[in-house]
Amino acid sequence: MRKLLVAGVAAVMAVGAIALTMPSLTTAQNQAKKAEPDSVVAPRLTAADSSNLKGPKQPIFFRHDIHAGQYKIQCQYCHYTVAASSEPGVPSLQTCMGCHLAIGGADSTHRVEIKKLRDAWKEKRPVEWVRIHTLAKHAHFPHMRHIKSLGPNACATCHGDVARMPQVFKVNNVNNMGFCISCHVERKVNRDCTACHY
Amino acid sequence: MPDEMKHEPLDRRRFLKVVGVAGAGTAALTGCSTDKVEKLIPYLVQSADQVPGIPTIYASTCTECAAGCGLHVRTREARAIKLEGNPQHPVNAGTLCARGQASLQGLYNPDRLTGPMGRNGVGKMSEVLWNEAIDQLAAAVKQAGSKVAVVTGTPAGTMSDLIDQWTAAVGGRVIRYQAFDHGPVQLAAKKVFGVDELPHHDFGAAKYIVSFGADFLETWHGPIENQRGFAAAHGFDGKGMAKFVYVGTRMSLTGMNADQWVSAASGSETSLALGLANAVLASRSDAPADAAQLKGMLAAYTVEKVAQDTGLSADVVRTLCAEFAKAAPSLAVAGGIGAQHRGAAELCAAVNVLNYVAGNVGKTVHFGFGMGSGSGYGAMLELERAMNAGEIDAVIFHDTNPLYTLPKSGGFRAALAKVRFRATTSMFWDETAAACDLVLPSLHSLERWDDSRPRAGVHGLVQPVMEPVFKNMAAGDVLLQVARKIGGAAGAAFTAPTYEAHLKGIWAGVAKARGAADFDTFWRGALANGGLYDAAPAPATIKLAAGAGDIKSEKPAFDGEGLLFAPYPSSMYHDGRGANRPWLLENPDPVTRITWQSWIEINPETAREMDIREGEILRLNSPAGSIEASVYVYPGIARDVLAMPLGLGHTEYGRYAQGRGVNALDLLSAKDGQGFLPYLSTRVKAEKTGRFRKVAKTEGNPRELGRGITEAIPLAAAVKGLTIQQAYQAAGKGEHEVNPEREAEAIKGFREGQLEERRYGAYALDNPQWGMVIDLARCTGCSACVTACSAENNIPWVGEEDIFRGRELSWMRIERYFEGGEDGEPIKARVIPMLCQQCDAAPCEPVCPVYAAYHTADGLNGQVYNRCVGTRYCANNCPYKVRYYNWYAYAKRAFVEPLNLQLNPDVTVRARGVMEKCTFCIQRIRGAQNTARLEDRAVADGDVVTACAQACASGAITFGNVKDPASRVVQAAKNPRGYHVLEELNTRPAVTYLARVEYGSEA
Repeated sequence: MRKLLVAGVAAVMAVGAIALTMPSLTTAQNQAKKAEPDSVVAPRLTAADSSNLKGPKQPIFFRHDIHAGQYKIQCQYCHYTVAASSEPGVPSLQTCMGCHLAIGGADSTHRVEIKKLRDAWKEKRPVEWVRIHTLAKHAHFPHMRHIKSLGPNACATCHGDVARMPQVFKVNNVNNMGFCISCHVERKVNRDCTACHY
Repeated sequence: MPDEMKHEPLDRRRFLKVVGVAGAGTAALTGCSTDKVEKLIPYLVQSADQVPGIPTIYASTCTECAAGCGLHVRTREARAIKLEGNPQHPVNAGTLCARGQASLQGLYNPDRLTGPMGRNGVGKMSEVLWNEAIDQLAAAVKQAGSKVAVVTGTPAGTMSDLIDQWTAAVGGRVIRYQAFDHGPVQLAAKKVFGVDELPHHDFGAAKYIVSFGADFLETWHGPIENQRGFAAAHGFDGKGMAKFVYVGTRMSLTGMNADQWVSAASGSETSLALGLANAVLASRSDAPADAAQLKGMLAAYTVEKVAQDTGLSADVVRTLCAEFAKAAPSLAVAGGIGAQHRGAAELCAAVNVLNYVAGNVGKTVHFGFGMGSGSGYGAMLELERAMNAGEIDAVIFHDTNPLYTLPKSGGFRAALAKVRFRATTSMFWDETAAACDLVLPSLHSLERWDDSRPRAGVHGLVQPVMEPVFKNMAAGDVLLQVARKIGGAAGAAFTAPTYEAHLKGIWAGVAKARGAADFDTFWRGALANGGLYDAAPAPATIKLAAGAGDIKSEKPAFDGEGLLFAPYPSSMYHDGRGANRPWLLENPDPVTRITWQSWIEINPETAREMDIREGEILRLNSPAGSIEASVYVYPGIARDVLAMPLGLGHTEYGRYAQGRGVNALDLLSAKDGQGFLPYLSTRVKAEKTGRFRKVAKTEGNPRELGRGITEAIPLAAAVKGLTIQQAYQAAGKGEHEVNPEREAEAIKGFREGQLEERRYGAYALDNPQWGMVIDLARCTGCSACVTACSAENNIPWVGEEDIFRGRELSWMRIERYFEGGEDGEPIKARVIPMLCQQCDAAPCEPVCPVYAAYHTADGLNGQVYNRCVGTRYCANNCPYKVRYYNWYAYAKRAFVEPLNLQLNPDVTVRARGVMEKCTFCIQRIRGAQNTARLEDRAVADGDVVTACAQACASGAITFGNVKDPASRVVQAAKNPRGYHVLEELNTRPAVTYLARVEYGSEA
């Protein structure tokens, strides 16, 4: 019961963060137009390819490599409470539709996936994502402290280079305490048991 | 060596390895693994006031009793997880009692009705649809015409008003009834002062307090507000404190907090009150002018007559008279169940006279606060008559369960059966619901809109803090819908579509009256504050009425013969509504330390004469009935009295309450025409059954046996600023040195070694050191902290069977010890909250083989649940017995759906086989540290408030960083009354207790 799966709410404070750091709808569109084919262009893939990719298959073939990689949308645009709360926040469908009301997809493979999202929105049915990182219930991980210390782009430290993942997979086992400790040792920060276990 | 080890077939290390692998394998299958498919289900639309991981707090009002305390409801991910007091609220000022905290277990109670129930074709109750239920009720009310009776226990507020208006519109009568109403107090106010309202008491201003059986720290009036005032008056402030004398046949929790318990014969208290009034008039010249007319009546109550009436020694009476006459302002209170015999109205009248002549009216006793108790027990007897006479066709019960709270010997049940249609809005299948034709379960107060006006100047709001756990309908909406269905004048009387709209309409009027420009802003402001709080009204001017001169102290009549039977309201179950809340069932009775059971209290002398001992089952027979329960031998009760708590013995009311204990009301006769139920009116014959049933108590030894756990210091010594040791020496009771020289030397060496270790690792950093001060001069033993701790820390209850085996889980517990009571010495009780002392030199830590118990850098005795393998060495080595072992999967057993929704997500739910304990609410400490880190500042004093300190109405607990010399905890610990429990063991606890201050013979 500790961490509810249901998440994703706009906090007043998070709205402030979005205003400061996040591209608005229009800038996201501009970026979409301006996107230069640089080194982080996401590969062309279809949902059928997702079975061959690492990581669990998701109900919608959501491409982190397109959103965070090619278009450089900041992580916190969607994971909006990560700097304020222990929970990073899962974007609500409304957040997705904020862009995808207008953006229908560049090619047919994209359009198929975006249609799934639009249908879900129309039917008022949340998309049930497959959870990849689940911390054991006896450990407490305050996301906001780590973002505060390591900066807004520190996500990759634990989650890997999600911006290059067509389908997200687990890079590090977050339930391996050695993984936490090695970093804490290296940075000479708190290694007290009750920092996390209570 | 390593080579030798290699040849071992299975050495310890390899064994652990194998076990470890197997363990990991199991874990992968059950829960720890991330391979299990979990789903992340997002919101469709973001909610504006919920941030995952951060609690959202709503202000509301508690509805567990009529006191109307303000709440701050802490919600996480849209579930209420903890109730705390609203600091802005004038009644409770941020604190909350155990019953208030347990309101959450009403909300999430698994026995809540999931929908309306009606009689089907064959007369059995079964679930019906809401629209059918409304139709049925509307039809029945319409048919009944003006023969409708609404019995409501709802305290003053818009709902109460709506019930009046609704009943007037459909035709019928309203009966306001609540058990333990203040009938005698209201009668006495009318008689002596000619006012029809209840007084409001300011305990904080009193210099001398006398209670005649009024248990004001437990259930009488608003216990939290009383307790706050009592702590202000009676908590030693360095200069002095009020003296408190309790007059009653039984030393209740309130009596335990008295400096003197006077066991006057039941029914003779009136004489003592008048005697005190006589002494005041005789020795003081500042009595109000019109008090002179009482002289004639009072003159008869000389010390000798009072002594003769009450059975007290003349010296005791004389001292009481002298002390009371000297103190100003003083305060006398009466009207509790502890002295509610047939002469209770006269007693309350005598106390009114006493307060009046002592000049307390207007100083500590206020009228004009608009507090009324409603029509009460007398009206229920009238309703019974009317039902028998066929004058009632339909009865609707709201917020009350009279079939449990009225004695069975009365004819209410039989009369109710004659009524054609009965309905109730109870959330539970209670005794009244079982006798009804239609049950329309209302919503819990945390799921609906409402307001409350406990007294003039306080206008609290109730708001829904979450989606209803069960999709039921608030009683206000039921009334409005029924009125619309009936149509005609009734339908036209109410235009609001919902109760919420109705309430807002009323508040729009309030906003207008206060000249608010914009209702929305006004409403939002009121909601955020939890209501509107105006200054207390100016007290009404009070003069004596004609009846004041006509008070008789006649011995009231008692039914039957034998020992006097004294049922009393339990501070946990109240009038029985708390009996389905496991937190309250397992929170030990503050006096007897008994859980989950009913018991009979008996004086040790009487027990010896009757040759009975604890646990023996007695059968009590009265003219009205007979009941059986185990005996608890209690030295704080008069020799001719048997006492028993009320609130258990339900025949319905869900899995926790049904069939648990016995109902003490079964022995009472209900025949009484005075307008209140005389609880203290029955004599019983006690009969031995020869059977035994263990008493489920958490008490170890009731005596301290010189262990110095609870220290007390005489007032005179405390005023001089003496330490406990100095006080002992001054009293000629020289205590031996805590540690002889050799021990002191060894301790010093040990300490140096410890300090040396502090230079390494995380310990070397500039960490705070958490500490706590608990002032025993303020602690009353009310046990609100115990429930607060359970709620905050996901502590499961273990049940009666495991209590028998001493397996309770109670990180915070109240210990109660008796002093005296032998060789003619007066009996006294001392209480002490006992929690992990977070010892600096903790005996628990070095014995843990797996490093689960260890010392954190910020001075806590950390307990890492996931490391713990359950050897229990730590608990064996703990001299304070504050480590609790989770013997079974208690959490799984206890937190059945939907009770599990209450669990605090910040605290691990412990599994079986784990030692668990208090760590000063470490989740709150870490939470405050996280917040401070985000704001680039240090944790400030007061940022961390433990759940126990937060709940405490007496303000007895102070928590903070002892490294910060300006912190409140450091200031408080400097008090000369400070001591550590079992100091001689050199555990160096982080909890400092301040000795209780007692009036000695010299004071």
